Amino acid sequence: MLKLTLRSLIDKKLRFALTTLVVVIGVMFVVGSFTLTDSLRATFADLADEIAGGADLTVRADQDFGSDFNRAAVPPEIAEQLESVDGVTRVRPDVAALNVTVVDAAGEAIRPSFGPALGFSFNPEAFFLSEGRAPDAAGEFAADSATAADNDLRIGGVYAINGPLFAEPFELVGVFNFGDPDSHTGLGQTMAAFELREAQRFFGAEDGYESVAVVVSPGADAAEVQARIEAVVGSGFRVVTTEVEAREQQADFDKIVGVFNTVLLVFAFIAVFVSAFIINNTFQIIVGQRVREIGLLRAVGATPSQVSRSVVGESVIVGAVSTVSGIGLGLVLAQVLRAVLELVGFALPAGPLLLRPRTVVLAVAVGMGVTVVSSISPAVRARRVSPVAALNQDSRLGAAGLQRRLMAGGSVTAAGVTALAVGMTVEFATATTFMLLGLGAVLAFVGINIVSPAFAAPVASVLGGPPSALGGIPGRLGRGNAARNPRRTASTAGALMIGLALMGLAAVVGESLKKTFVDVFDNAVESDYFIQASVSGFGPPPGFPAQAADEIEALDEIESVMRFQFSFDGLSVDGVPRDIVAADLAVADDHIDARVSSGSIAASDPLTALALHSDSAGDLGVGVGDTVEATFANNRTETLTVVAVYEDAAVYGNWLIDGTLWDRHFNRNDLSFASALITDPPGASAAVREALARDSRASVEEVLERYPTVEVEDQAEFRQSQESQITSFIRVVEVLIGLSFVIALIGIVNTLSLSVLERTREIGLLRSVGMTRNQLRRSIYWEALIVAVFGGMLGVSVGAVFGAAASLALPESFVQTLAVPWLDLLVFLAISAVAGLLAAILPALRAGRMNILQAIAHE
Amino acid sequence: MNSTATQTLAPAAQARAATKIYGSGDTEVRALDAIDAVFQQGKFTAIMGPSGSGKSTLMHCMAGLDTVSSGQVFIGDTDLTTLSEKDLTLLRRDSVGFVFQAFNLVPTLTAMENITLPMDLAGSKGDSDWIDSVVSATGLTERVKHRPNELSGGQQQRVAVARALAGKPQIIFADEPTGNVDSNTAAEILGFMRRAVDELGQTIVMVTHDAVAASYADRVVFLVDGKIVDELADPTPQTVRDQMTSLGA
Repeated sequence: MLKLTLRSLIDKKLRFALTTLVVVIGVMFVVGSFTLTDSLRATFADLADEIAGGADLTVRADQDFGSDFNRAAVPPEIAEQLESVDGVTRVRPDVAALNVTVVDAAGEAIRPSFGPALGFSFNPEAFFLSEGRAPDAAGEFAADSATAADNDLRIGGVYAINGPLFAEPFELVGVFNFGDPDSHTGLGQTMAAFELREAQRFFGAEDGYESVAVVVSPGADAAEVQARIEAVVGSGFRVVTTEVEAREQQADFDKIVGVFNTVLLVFAFIAVFVSAFIINNTFQIIVGQRVREIGLLRAVGATPSQVSRSVVGESVIVGAVSTVSGIGLGLVLAQVLRAVLELVGFALPAGPLLLRPRTVVLAVAVGMGVTVVSSISPAVRARRVSPVAALNQDSRLGAAGLQRRLMAGGSVTAAGVTALAVGMTVEFATATTFMLLGLGAVLAFVGINIVSPAFAAPVASVLGGPPSALGGIPGRLGRGNAARNPRRTASTAGALMIGLALMGLAAVVGESLKKTFVDVFDNAVESDYFIQASVSGFGPPPGFPAQAADEIEALDEIESVMRFQFSFDGLSVDGVPRDIVAADLAVADDHIDARVSSGSIAASDPLTALALHSDSAGDLGVGVGDTVEATFANNRTETLTVVAVYEDAAVYGNWLIDGTLWDRHFNRNDLSFASALITDPPGASAAVREALARDSRASVEEVLERYPTVEVEDQAEFRQSQESQITSFIRVVEVLIGLSFVIALIGIVNTLSLSVLERTREIGLLRSVGMTRNQLRRSIYWEALIVAVFGGMLGVSVGAVFGAAASLALPESFVQTLAVPWLDLLVFLAISAVAGLLAAILPALRAGRMNILQAIAHE
Repeated sequence: MNSTATQTLAPAAQARAATKIYGSGDTEVRALDAIDAVFQQGKFTAIMGPSGSGKSTLMHCMAGLDTVSSGQVFIGDTDLTTLSEKDLTLLRRDSVGFVFQAFNLVPTLTAMENITLPMDLAGSKGDSDWIDSVVSATGLTERVKHRPNELSGGQQQRVAVARALAGKPQIIFADEPTGNVDSNTAAEILGFMRRAVDELGQTIVMVTHDAVAASYADRVVFLVDGKIVDELADPTPQTVRDQMTSLGA
């Protein structure tokens, strides 16, 4: 039997190659993803100690949650006390800030390609000078070597730097490598370093240090020194060892790398899932074509399990070959991705690619698993073939009854939809939610695929109407062929459906986001100008110097400015960290109409004021006048009073405080956003207003000339740029998901090739009675078109439903209005039609080239 | 059509020194060896011969399904050896009808669609009165809306003959049209082909190894080793069988 299996594989080289290819893609992504991230992690682990900066111990404020940048400062008195602790050789206070952006000689702000724009006090233990000297006076700075080289920064040059508070010129005195003396370790961030006091002044961190590094005397016992320091600093501070620091660095790095891992694994998952459809379909067709042969084998004494073993055996060989090639190509993919990451500034010292045993095990599990599991149902059908089939001219596999199909498919779909609904509405840990959503999507797709053959034939006939009417005989044949094997048509369409459904989902959610934005903007936003740092690269949303907003506010043409600051997990209530927005509450109502349902945002005491979205107010069971115990990310707790409850969360999110309260608890001084209102003198004529509007724009832009990272937009511009930002994000997601299209395309090629082969005699007959090659090819194009449009319609409808459900399930601060991008969905349908035609090229060529005489004689 | 008129016309098909060689050197096989043959219009000719005699090859070459290695093949006045693949296809569509041993019909098309297939491929309407009379001659008027798998083997072959007739081709080639059916059904099909020649003036060339089938023809041509070795006019099953025996088949 093995010989037979091998023989049939060798005979059908193209089919074998295509089937293998679809599995290879999935395995490749799995292996590439893990190898890349393992290798990056290992390289970073070697560096982590050096990055921790040559100290033995670090003293810093306690923090229970939130970003490092929100941690409380270490006061200068504490640092002074450390110097006199027995066993301490040296202490080095450090400060750091986000959004310290250097402007190059051409006046362009230097944007990090990936991470944040960071500012530091110069740390000689981790910053290794490659050129010049360390900054040691006011007005001097040093830059990392990658940033300096990429932007042509020269020692001795004077460059404007936009800090968190203001912009100032600095002279470049040194260039350094971070982490390693010989090569810069970049994760895409830019780094500017200053003398300590200068850094404190420029960052607005004069009240203390981010952390204090301690070097222990050579003979002293580090643990004892640590204990002594702990006694000195008292509660509210932590003393950590270099090992802990390095571990934390590694954990932060792992988080960044984890994002790549997740994205790549999502690809792998989609790829594997789509390929499972294709493999299952291919084996179904093969078994169907071999019914007579299988019957003959059974007649001459093969047992049912021998027959099914030969089917599974073929899948094992396909799985093995694809796993091995997938691992090889995965290593190539990892290498390519590493090179791409390096191009965007993610520069780690070169290291070997790490193929961990775990990766190999996963590759085998995916490669073998998906093929073997997908071949089980065809194998089961093969064992049911009776010996009599050998004698019958038109032996075909029986199809499952319509009712059974509807029942089975319906319940699987229902289970999937239930899982999706639970995943979207009930709050679980993120991983659980993703698992549930993934499982739900898989079940829903499988269920739909079980049901869809039930209506594939009628739908294909309807879709085939126009080709049949317009395309003459080729059109009629295409329609007939698409409808003649509903199961095959449905499976082929199913592979296309998955990618399209995900694209449709993204498009609907994106359109709803956009619609929500536009609605909020039109209804809630009164401001005339919008000021924010220009976005670029993949970094976190950049902030800009607070002084820019102050200067704009000082303009005669500007009535008021509202400053926005934002932090994830900025404060915690009832032990749950919450994202927080800080703004100028006094002018809030002039700028934004957040539909306040009770109380007033412009509070009498902004230092204790808290405004809440009605959802959060409901969850906490509080209303206006009630107090809330809030712990900030610097571990300090305050009693806040609810001053207002609002209904529109699109601008403020769920939690809103005043800027003064922010300043008391957050070290970050840069603004994430600001809006401005043009002065509107009472009783001013239209001409005066027009002049004000015109002049105000010029004045604001004049201010911003000093802040090249900052941009101003009026209502129309802001609206458009936000819309196009959402659009381009959605497009990127769609294109990435669209890669699964390539796999589905291979599936169509495979199915059509097999179908053409199966119809060899029919093709011979058609050709002999006078069908031209072109007519024959056209009939195959029509068939592919009908199948692809069928898959497209399934995908687009499923995607629209999923997208609508997801949009409704998303929190109101993201999506309030459901919108369906009909045009986009139509475009997807057109894309899938084109994909179908492309997939038909090869099978059509092969069909056209068939020798008529051999075709007629074909068994 | 009347028989005196057809005598003066060119033959429906003819082969001149038609030679077909497969392989080369030691493995060379002469499937057709300089064959000269003429198939008159309005006649039913049977080609017989033992296995490997070249009878199928002759038919394939005559019909433009295969090409000769040397010599000439004519359908009417057209020399097939000068035609491109595309022109050959068009010639088959417009001037030649086919009936194969089995699998004559496209399963996704109805019986009627199968009958009009060559015309539809050509994008022409065809002669609808003629098609009606062909369909009624098959006796399948009631079943033309059915798919092939809803028809019996004999009915399917009659539809195949009807398709061959429908486009009024210059000549119909039939390759063992009764090879796959029982003798009653065979009689039904052969009777229909005979009527097509007698009543509709069609020209038919049929390859067969069955003496009874050959006896329906006006003339039998015997092939051995790629050469025409004998002919028999107005055959009966007995005379055909005697002839075959004498050829050692």
